[in-house]
Amino acid sequence: MTSISLHNVTKQFGNGFHALRGVTADFTPGTLTAIIGPSGAGKSTMIRMINGLEFPTNGQVKVEDRVVNRSNLKEIRGDVGIIFQHYNLVSRLAVMTNTLTGRLKHRSWLGSMLYLFRKNDMDLAFQALDRVGLLDRAWDRADRLSGGQQQRVGIARALAQAPRILLADEPVASLDPVTSEEIMQILREICDRDGITVIVNLHQVDLARRFASRVIGLNAGKIVFDGHPDALDQSTLDRIYHNHTEKEIRNEIPAPMLADA
Amino acid sequence: MKYLPLCWPTRNGLPPLALVISFAVVFGALAWAAPIAEINPLRLIASVPRLLSFIGNILVMPDAQYFPELFRKMLETLEMAMLATSIALAISLPLGFLAAKNTSPHPAVFHFMRTLLSFMRALPELVWALVFVSAVGLGPLPGVMALAFVTVGFMGKFFAESIEVVDAKPIEGVEAHGAGWLQVRTFAYLPQAMPDFIGSTLYILEHNLRAAAILGLVGAGGVGYDMVMAMRLFDYDRILSIALGIYLIVALLDRLSSHFRSRVI
Repeated sequence: MTSISLHNVTKQFGNGFHALRGVTADFTPGTLTAIIGPSGAGKSTMIRMINGLEFPTNGQVKVEDRVVNRSNLKEIRGDVGIIFQHYNLVSRLAVMTNTLTGRLKHRSWLGSMLYLFRKNDMDLAFQALDRVGLLDRAWDRADRLSGGQQQRVGIARALAQAPRILLADEPVASLDPVTSEEIMQILREICDRDGITVIVNLHQVDLARRFASRVIGLNAGKIVFDGHPDALDQSTLDRIYHNHTEKEIRNEIPAPMLADA
Repeated sequence: MKYLPLCWPTRNGLPPLALVISFAVVFGALAWAAPIAEINPLRLIASVPRLLSFIGNILVMPDAQYFPELFRKMLETLEMAMLATSIALAISLPLGFLAAKNTSPHPAVFHFMRTLLSFMRALPELVWALVFVSAVGLGPLPGVMALAFVTVGFMGKFFAESIEVVDAKPIEGVEAHGAGWLQVRTFAYLPQAMPDFIGSTLYILEHNLRAAAILGLVGAGGVGYDMVMAMRLFDYDRILSIALGIYLIVALLDRLSSHFRSRVI
């Protein structure tokens, strides 16, 4: 069984920008995949599609054999956790409350209006905070924490929902090298211990090499490399991070891309 | 003078043309409109002696015998303002979400709510108080109704505008974990808009206190009736007492609200 499967996925945004052009990839359960590539290559779009934050223009995204569409969004998102570059926490709420928002899918709207949760939700949230080492900060406001700590709250929020898939959209792009290392360590540990399928967008090739069991290289919306991190040699990296000249883009890629490339 | 050492941060050092034109248009319009509103500097200067004698009249000892009655009336006024603000708060909160572009379920709902809110605040409290006085009779009740009605119009608009400027990233963060429509609004929009909500509510409470103080003019409760009567009877010592009373409560409220705000925000 495949955990996630992208079949010939194309995404064109309203402004004409082609983020993805015919991407096909399958992800095995319990693996950690890193997606690398230059800015604007379509890394974020690819990840966000798995959570239904974007929908493909053409092609299909399947999560555990369900095609992601607007009608099963809530169900899919219940199984897919996501963490973001800017953490996307509600900064005025306590760390605990932020973590508990990962449980909202299982709570009714009526109780949620009064911020009510079940004991069981609290236990799961405490466990999640314990795993990222933030138990002692549970009742602090989220904006009192440092960047690395906030990202760990983001991970705890995703863990609290007990997902089978964890997506990370450039989780360490705003963090220092040591903190980045810690965050990657946590993601690797989640993948190994819970058998959660993890997909991480990265800008740091060395982190991809060390933590991922598979690397996908994206360039201008196409997969140009897909394999074991050991196979990442200089020529492969040149291909992944190749800057298309204007002439190449005009020949290979329709014009609107230039606007945002 | 060949050149001044001062210049504007533009390409040629001159003020931007659009700015110059806007100023010219605004001042032109004001100069043209002043006679229509009967703004006449000469009349103002001619009235100075009368203004001075009025100020002289009002500088008397406040009427101490009236204080217990004043205290009761001020309490009634304060209660009217707080009651009206609370009622309006309960109604405006859901309406604000329906009237904000980013949280409204449908553009049609958004436009309908915005139109409804601007209708509710189009006429001043005093006019609505007249309407409600003829509907339910004299006393503080029509006053509270009129205040709450107009306040919903303001508060709903203020809330909607605060919701519209919240950061979208936390919204996405909560949405992406499978939270429902109402849950995203309670857990992502509401906490982010909360400081603005509190600020608007405290400002509106202060405004309502001042509004409640004149509703007595049409028999809708509060200290306003006494004030009008005192004005008519040239009871300057009483007018001064009432004015000081209103000032004291407004100042107290202002202090309390800024203390409260700095603690919450």
